Amino acid sequence: MAFTLYALLQAALLVVNAIAVLHEERFLRNVGWGTDQGIGGFGEEPGIKAQLMNLIRSVRTVMRVPLIAVNSITIVLLLLFG
Amino acid sequence: MNPDGGPGGGLRQPSKRRLPAASSSMADPHQLFDDTSSSALASGYAAPQSPPVGYPAQGSFLAEPMSSFAMAYGSTLASHSKEIVDKNIDRFIPMTKLKYYFAVDTVYVGKKLGLLLFPFMHQDWQVRYQQDTPVAPRFDINAPDLYIPVMAFITYILVAGLALGTQNRFSPDILGLQASSALAWLIVEVLAILLSLYLVTVNTDLTTIDLVAFSGYKYVGMIVGIVSGLLFGKTGYHLLLSWCCLSIFVFMIRTLRLKILSEAAAEGVLVRGAKNQLRMYLTMAIAALQPLFMYWLTFHLVRMACELFLLSSLWFLFVIFWMETISLWLFLCNFYQDRAFYHWGERVFVSDPGHMLYVFVSAGPGQL
Repeated sequence: MAFTLYALLQAALLVVNAIAVLHEERFLRNVGWGTDQGIGGFGEEPGIKAQLMNLIRSVRTVMRVPLIAVNSITIVLLLLFG
Repeated sequence: MNPDGGPGGGLRQPSKRRLPAASSSMADPHQLFDDTSSSALASGYAAPQSPPVGYPAQGSFLAEPMSSFAMAYGSTLASHSKEIVDKNIDRFIPMTKLKYYFAVDTVYVGKKLGLLLFPFMHQDWQVRYQQDTPVAPRFDINAPDLYIPVMAFITYILVAGLALGTQNRFSPDILGLQASSALAWLIVEVLAILLSLYLVTVNTDLTTIDLVAFSGYKYVGMIVGIVSGLLFGKTGYHLLLSWCCLSIFVFMIRTLRLKILSEAAAEGVLVRGAKNQLRMYLTMAIAALQPLFMYWLTFHLVRMACELFLLSSLWFLFVIFWMETISLWLFLCNFYQDRAFYHWGERVFVSDPGHMLYVFVSAGPGQL
């Protein structure tokens, strides 16, 4: 019904999963968002694309291990009570 | 309780007394309120310290050296663990930063509420700084605070419960649902603003708490809308909510413009470049987000048909007349800005007592 905190947590988990699942070799490089593409020169302010790529790479790196734990906990809880 | 605490507190007290109260509160930018702890030390700590003197008379059990040692040990343990807890709380929640946002007084709250409901005449939107730290909200009306957002949030939930109660739709869990929903939307909004600030690579001093404060100001307008909807039906709700939406829009644009746009553009000089264009669009988008949220969070609360129809129509006429008067007045003020009304506005600005106090302190011998 209403958009509650629980729904917000679920949505955040799904979004982080969606970012973490993007594959560097198979997807990001084909779209042109690879690590080595589109990096601006020195002293130049990074554009939106560079920032977005940076964000995706950071999320993929940092959240990989915590996501495994959180996802498994969520799966067990939803199987038991959901 | 602590044996070292008594003499230390007693010694510290005269050094605090030496400073005059007014200058100590105004000259130090880090001190948000007058320090009342010294008087609390004098009155509050004296009472617990007297019992150890009287303890030996009470019984042989407390006179034993072992028990007094255990008491001292226990008190040091307690104070030590309290220190650790304080340190850890300060690490996770920036308490000193949060204290800044709650350093308000009645005059500030009144002025800020007036500014939120009628931001059109305000001229100076710059947040004042004193030695690289922003001045506390009670000395500067433009500084963001958290008191008004928090109070308005709680009031919004209560008023929502009241509105649902008048429609016989109230149940206790609805209050929790409303709070949860409003909080979730607030978090989504702040996260979206943070993400867009990151993507546009804005160099700004806006912190997350600032953003929470600025997006919390819209609850004031929402409360006004719901209450008018309760009193005067749908017409009153729509009229007053749209007025509040307009004023929040203006308020957000004028405040965030100084924070998000670069220095030159904020002063009115036209700066060419896609970057500045983007920042301007971002400011507009954040400000335009507020009315959407305000409508989205309140429209389901005012669903009833208007029972007081006569009153509502009278009120409708009154509001129309009022808004006409105000718009005419605004037009005249803008029109005659360089002639008739100019001195009036200037005088109001200068006669602001907090401002004058600030000027005196920052320029005068208070710096000593």
